[in-house]
Amino acid sequence: MQETRGNLLKRLEGEARQIRRNVWRALRAGGGGHAGGSLSAADILAALYFHRLRIRPSEPEWPERDRFVLSKGHANAALGAVLAQAGFIDDAVLDRFYGFESPFGMHPDIKVAGVEMCTGALGHGLAVATGMALGARIQKQTFHTFVMLGDGELHEGSNWEAAMAGAHYRLSNLTAIVDHNKISQSGRVEEIISVDPLADKWRAFGWEVREIDGHDMPDVVDALGALPFHPDRPSALIAHTVKGKGVSFAENTYLWHSNNVNDEILERALAELRP
Amino acid sequence: MSATVAVAADWRTRSAKQTRLAFGQALLELGAREPRTVVVSADTQDLLGIRQYIERYRDRFVELGIAEQNAIGVASGLATTGLRPYVCAYAPFITARSMEQVRNDVAYANQRVVIGAAASGISLGVAGGTHHALEDLALMRSLPNMTVIVPADVDEAYRATLATLDIDGPVYLRLGGRTEEPTVSDPEAPFRLGEAVQLRPGNDIAVIACGALVEMAVRASDQLLRAGINVRVLNMHTIKPLDRDAVLAAAAETGLIVTAEEHHLTGGLGGAVAELLAVELPTRMHMIGMPDTFAMVGPTVALRAKYGMSAEAIADACRALLGSA
Repeated sequence: MQETRGNLLKRLEGEARQIRRNVWRALRAGGGGHAGGSLSAADILAALYFHRLRIRPSEPEWPERDRFVLSKGHANAALGAVLAQAGFIDDAVLDRFYGFESPFGMHPDIKVAGVEMCTGALGHGLAVATGMALGARIQKQTFHTFVMLGDGELHEGSNWEAAMAGAHYRLSNLTAIVDHNKISQSGRVEEIISVDPLADKWRAFGWEVREIDGHDMPDVVDALGALPFHPDRPSALIAHTVKGKGVSFAENTYLWHSNNVNDEILERALAELRP
Repeated sequence: MSATVAVAADWRTRSAKQTRLAFGQALLELGAREPRTVVVSADTQDLLGIRQYIERYRDRFVELGIAEQNAIGVASGLATTGLRPYVCAYAPFITARSMEQVRNDVAYANQRVVIGAAASGISLGVAGGTHHALEDLALMRSLPNMTVIVPADVDEAYRATLATLDIDGPVYLRLGGRTEEPTVSDPEAPFRLGEAVQLRPGNDIAVIACGALVEMAVRASDQLLRAGINVRVLNMHTIKPLDRDAVLAAAAETGLIVTAEEHHLTGGLGGAVAELLAVELPTRMHMIGMPDTFAMVGPTVALRAKYGMSAEAIADACRALLGSA
C-alpha cells in the first residue's frame, strides 16, 4: 500500500529526530565531537536514507546502489546514526564511538558497511563522487550519486575543479548537497571567507541549482524527488540549515562545531529531542 | 612462455622510444585485455602517448584538464565502481600537488588506481626546479598500500604496466621524459613485481639501481670488470615492496653496497636499502643520487653528470668503497 505523504513526512521527521538523539549518544560515547554539522545535516540524511536512496542495507556492496558520499566527514556521528538506523551497522556501535578499534572515529572509513569513501579531509568528496557518476555512465548503470558538502568546505579549491568536471561531462546522475549552515570552525563563514553568492557560483560552473530550507521536510522531500533538476546538468541543492539544529544551546554557534559532551550535556540535549 | 612475453615481443615493433610512451602503448593492450580499464588524463594526452588509446576506447577515457587533485579523486571514485583507472600525469604535479588525494582517496581507501607519472626526476631538466620530481619516490614510498615501480627502459615500462593488471591496490609507476634509455632489461623475461633482476654477477661489490641509472650501473660494472673487479648489478625496478632477499644477499655476499637513482638522496631507493640494512645487516654503503639541492636548469644528461648520476660516478664510488674496505 502506498504510504501517504503525511505518513511519509511524519516517519522521516521521526527518523531525523532519532538521528539527532543518536548523534548526541555517539558523541557522549566519544567524549565529544562535531555536533553542530551533524545536527544541521540530520533532516536531509533522514530523507535520503529512509526515502530517496535506492539501497540494500543487507547488501551494502550492491553494485546498483545509489551512492552517498559524506564529504563533510566531520559529521560522521550523523552518518553513523543513519547507518545504524537503516540497518547497515549494529546499533551498539554508536556506544563505541572513538573507542579502541571502533569502526567509527571522528571521520568516515570506507571499511565500514555503507560508507562509500574515507572523507573528512575537506575538498575530496565531490571529486570522488564525480568519479562514481562517471563510472556509472561508463558501465551503463543507473545509480545516482549524492555528495554532501559543508559551506566552509567550499573554501577548498579542489571542489571547484570537480564542479567544472561534473558540468563538463553533463553528469545529471550527480547531486551535490550543500549543508549551508553558515558557520565553520572559527566563526561565521561570511566573516572567515565569504562563499556568497553561492547559488550564482554553482550556476556559473554549469550546475542546475535549487535552494531549500534544509529542515523543512516537505521542502527536502520535494527537492530530492525533483532530481535531476536538469536532464543535462549536475544538480546542486543548497540547503539552508542551522548549525546545531534541534538543541537550543548548540544552535547557531561555532562553539558547537566541535565540543565536549558529558552526561549533563547529553541529558539536556536529549530532553529537547523527545518524540 | 607466458602471454606477457608474446605481447612484449609484439610491442617492440611499435618502437616507442621513451618509457612514458611505452606506458601509453601498454594501455592499448590493457584496453583490449581488460574491459574495466579506464584512462584518466590531466591534459597529458601526448605526454603519455595515449591518443591511439583514446581513438580506440573513447568511451573508457576521461579527460579532466589541468586539475591533478581532481584527477586523483575522480580516479578513486571510478575505482569504487569496479573500473580500473590509469591516471596519466606529470610526476611533479600528481605527487606533490595531489599528495592528500593520493594518500586519502587512493592509498588509505585502498583503491585500485594506477598512476603513470611521466617526466620524473630531472627529465624536464630545462624546465627548471618547479618541474623536477626528485622527491616523488619518498612521498609515494611512505604510503601504506602503495606499490612503487621504476622501470629502467621502454620494454620494462611496457611489461610493468601490463603487470599492474594483477596488483590488487594502488600503484605508482615512475616514468621518464624525453631521454631515451638504452635497453637493459630482458624483453623475453616476464616482469616480476618485487623481484630484483641481476644484470651482472659479482661478489666484490653490488650496485643496486633503478630507472635510468640501471644502464649506467651496467656500464660501470663492465668497465670495472676490465680492471678485475666483479660488480654485481641489481635492477631494483620495484621500490616497494622492496626485494629484501636480493638486498640482504648482495650485502652478505659482497659486503659493500652502492645505490643509484635519479632522486634526492633522502627517502628514495638508497633510503629504502639503507633502512633495511641498518636493521638487518649493517653494511658499508655509498648512495648515488641528487644531493640536497634543487637542480639548476640544463639538459637532462648534463644535469645527471653534474650531480654525480653517471656511470663514471658509480665506478668511482665502487673504487672508493673497495679502497676503504
